[in-house]
Amino acid sequence: MDSEKMDSARWERIQSLFHGAVDLRGSEQRTFLSSACGGDQALIADVLALLEEDAKGNSLLDRGMAEVARQMLDTAASPSFASQQFGKYRIQRLLGEGGMGVVYLAEREDLHDLVAIKILRDAWLSPARRERFASEQRTLAQLNHASIARLYDADTLPDGTPWFVMEYVEGIPLTEYCSANRCSTEERLELFRSVCEAVQYAHRHAVIHRDLKPSNILVKPDGSVRLLDFGISKQLPSLDRPVDQTRTGLRMMTPAYASPEEIRGEPVGVHTDVYSLGMILYELLAGRLPYNLSSKTPSEAETILLEHEPERPSLVNQRLAGPGRVAPSTSKAAWADLDVLCLTAMHKDAQRRYRSVEALVRDIDHYLKGEPLEARRDSAGYRLRKFVTRNRRAVSTAVVLFAVVVGIVAFFTIRLAIARNAALAEAARTQRIQHFMFSLFQGGDKSAGPADSLRVVTLLDRGVKEARSLDGEPAVQAELYQTLGSIYQKLGKLDQADSLLSLALRERKSLFGSDHPQVAESLVLLGLLRAAQAQLEEAERSVREGLEMSKRRLPPNHPSLAKAIFALGKVQEERGAYEKAIKTLDEAVRLQSAGRAETPELADSLHELANAHFYAGHYDTSESLNQRLLPMYRRMYGDSHPRVADILINLGAIKLDRGHYPEAEKLDRQALEIVEAWYGRDSLETASDLTLLARALVYQGRYSEAVDLLQQSLLIKERAYGRVHPSVASSLNELGNTASRQGNYDAAEPYFQRMVDIYRAVYGEHHYLLATALSNLASVDMGRNEWARAEKIFRQVISLYTETQSATHINTGIARIKLGRTLLRQQRPSDAEVETRAGYDILVKQMEPKVSWLVNGRKDLIEEYDLLQQPENAAKFREELAKIQSENQAAARR
Amino acid sequence: MARGGERAKRGESPEQKRVDELFTVAYEELRRLASTVLGGDRSATLNPTALVNEAWVKLASSPRFAATSLLHFKRIAARAMRQVLIEAARRRNALKRGRGAPITITFDDARDEAARYAKDLLALDAALNELARIQPRQAMMVEGRFFGGLDIAQTAELLEVSEATIFRDWRAARAWLAHQLHQAN
Repeated sequence: MDSEKMDSARWERIQSLFHGAVDLRGSEQRTFLSSACGGDQALIADVLALLEEDAKGNSLLDRGMAEVARQMLDTAASPSFASQQFGKYRIQRLLGEGGMGVVYLAEREDLHDLVAIKILRDAWLSPARRERFASEQRTLAQLNHASIARLYDADTLPDGTPWFVMEYVEGIPLTEYCSANRCSTEERLELFRSVCEAVQYAHRHAVIHRDLKPSNILVKPDGSVRLLDFGISKQLPSLDRPVDQTRTGLRMMTPAYASPEEIRGEPVGVHTDVYSLGMILYELLAGRLPYNLSSKTPSEAETILLEHEPERPSLVNQRLAGPGRVAPSTSKAAWADLDVLCLTAMHKDAQRRYRSVEALVRDIDHYLKGEPLEARRDSAGYRLRKFVTRNRRAVSTAVVLFAVVVGIVAFFTIRLAIARNAALAEAARTQRIQHFMFSLFQGGDKSAGPADSLRVVTLLDRGVKEARSLDGEPAVQAELYQTLGSIYQKLGKLDQADSLLSLALRERKSLFGSDHPQVAESLVLLGLLRAAQAQLEEAERSVREGLEMSKRRLPPNHPSLAKAIFALGKVQEERGAYEKAIKTLDEAVRLQSAGRAETPELADSLHELANAHFYAGHYDTSESLNQRLLPMYRRMYGDSHPRVADILINLGAIKLDRGHYPEAEKLDRQALEIVEAWYGRDSLETASDLTLLARALVYQGRYSEAVDLLQQSLLIKERAYGRVHPSVASSLNELGNTASRQGNYDAAEPYFQRMVDIYRAVYGEHHYLLATALSNLASVDMGRNEWARAEKIFRQVISLYTETQSATHINTGIARIKLGRTLLRQQRPSDAEVETRAGYDILVKQMEPKVSWLVNGRKDLIEEYDLLQQPENAAKFREELAKIQSENQAAARR
Repeated sequence: MARGGERAKRGESPEQKRVDELFTVAYEELRRLASTVLGGDRSATLNPTALVNEAWVKLASSPRFAATSLLHFKRIAARAMRQVLIEAARRRNALKRGRGAPITITFDDARDEAARYAKDLLALDAALNELARIQPRQAMMVEGRFFGGLDIAQTAELLEVSEATIFRDWRAARAWLAHQLHQAN
């Protein structure tokens, strides 16, 4: 059968004959075929050949793959690179082998130095493999530190196989070294500190290791450490040890040391490495890892890593008898510090870890010098004392807050124990306490600061536990669940809020039936939670259900009804339905203004209404509402409360949008003063207000003052998040834009370059934000008339946007118009026309005709068509441009 | 020309890139597993189904591939397995052709099973490429079943046809491929 002459039709025919004949006996087959094929002997022969093979059934396909695989992989092994020429290096022996590549020990012929050569096997197989290999090489080339294995050389074999040469590290893994040498706690910490320094160095170069673990950290006989495996590198097994079985040679993490955010597939950053360092420290101090994952399935391991709290390392170490035990001489007090240090580094909540490796190193130094740890300040007593001296006003709020949370839990418990029967009589008091508590939270949810809210959470957790034990009083239990749930929501703990509020709703339904004011109240609160969770459709559904129920069951002037209406307005605003939201919130304000004049509820409704008008573009209305609110908040919370600052900022934003820059500046300065005094000069809240004020200054052309503020804001963020963090990048962007606006491109460039580096480190090579940062960098080159350089970057930008967003995305379109400009300026009109036109076609379908991109695109196209001598095309765009311009003029006259 | 190259690169869709990455990971994992099995316990089964499953267990715990279904992965793993084996077979043949006489004799020895397998594998690869031209679905089916260890039910789900169809397709394709192998010998 000649396969080259085979086509689908013939194959279909042969198959159908084959199936028709295959279950017949030999002689019947022939009869069947000769009548079915009408004398086509070639066809008959083809089918008979298949029938024969079918009967035999002993080809490769029937033998099964197991045997084939064994024969092939066993005997073919890997190709021998040993005979190949690697520049001036001569291969000695194989060190290790993994999926990605092979590593050989080699000698440099002229100097007789030992090195490790890493070779990408089967480089032809896929671009992703080549890219990964190249990226490790680039990373190593960037890093030049005594504790990081160095890159010496790189090249490719004649067949295109890439290889690079790096430092050969003869050493043993960190943990093994420590147990083999019976290192003391101090010695362990010193070694660990050197590792931290190397990681810190990498972080300064925007490199995140992402796979820190003892087997990637070798200790040399002289006691110095080396960090290996940036990206894909195999651990070089020292002295004939077997290849590390957990490594795949892929960019897959080793679960035991991987941070929860990495396991969840969330973005990684500096905090990821801090976590892994914490795990390593744990292993060094406790003598083993906190969790035993050896016999667990991947999903069991995942649950453990995400949810189980590790035992304190001191306790684990205590239980280890005999030689495994680390430093039995360490005092109890010292262990307490070590526990805090280690558990802070490996906290499951990235926010509560050390913010940077630098901070971790600082605390190691504090420990080694016998000073108190910085991490210790998180513990209630220490922190509270510190707080009192720093800020009396804030502490009074926080203390009252604790008292209330403790009080409400105690109140319910005591009430149940002593006065069960009086429950109903106490209801009024409960409501008063609840109200008091909420008003505190509303003024102080952020103002208590993250550290304090965490302490509140601890108390809340206790409250939940107690509430769960109140099975005999389901109505009170439901109320307590609802109260606690709402507090969790205010603190941003949405999952806990969700489970408690849902529980409250369920209990109330089973107690009161499905149509009851209390059920309605629960529905409304659950709706607001859904809005916070960004489930807006479900939010509106739940709030509306609650509102309808309240309307049916309550008198029209009942406060709960107004609250439900307010909730609906808030949800509508979240959905972007500003006009509807305004109507709803007007109704809420009307109901709430009917009784006593100034209540917190009324203020909240007015605040939300002012925001909705602002978003809808009704600056006048929004301004007068904000002005009405300002004295109200001042009376309610005092002159220097963050709520007052919020209103000042809103008023400033309105001034800025109207072009009243000096007034905007004045309002922003007042807000900044309040926020600095309340949260502290180094707080993130201060940082964000500094940025707002800087914008008001930029609009007034006061660049150097603006830059000064932006630098302050940058410093605060760097201190809080470390140098490599998206939030730091946004400050850098602001600085770069300010410099560009001044025409100071040389100053702008390093800011944008750092922004690029950060995004690259945080999001990797394939993220649209990297494209945005690169595009800003290219705009600097455009400003300097360095068109060829800008062209190169824009090409990269376009391919990134195309990959991460799409070929027809607005961003891709804008970048192509910009690329067109760089080509036009390089006197390449025909290349330019291709790009400008493509970009124009993309944008014109999706944007208003008068946006600046399209206007610039038209101008460039006119110039291009003139140069290309295509007068009709040029005329067409001239006409469009003229139309837009006359429309603009008409609008300006109106 | 440079422009053309760039266009081609730009033309690679995110989906293609994802498959490329997945393939890379699968390939490397299979290679590593194979070398582990061979380097250690000689009696361990080097069974493609087991290898692919083991690779999957590892990959499934990586969030990067959380959105990938087992079936999708197995299809790509089958492709990777085919590459690994074909490449090994090719290397074997190259050795045979390129090196000195003593090796030739060893490899030409009729009792050398590995040499016959290598030859058969290369012939199967060529025949599968042919089949992919004539009837792509059947080529995919053979790749999945033979190289990826998919059973009839999984293959049917993957190709979105009934099990009866797979059964019939397999019988015909198997006979045709066997015939091609036969002729290549």
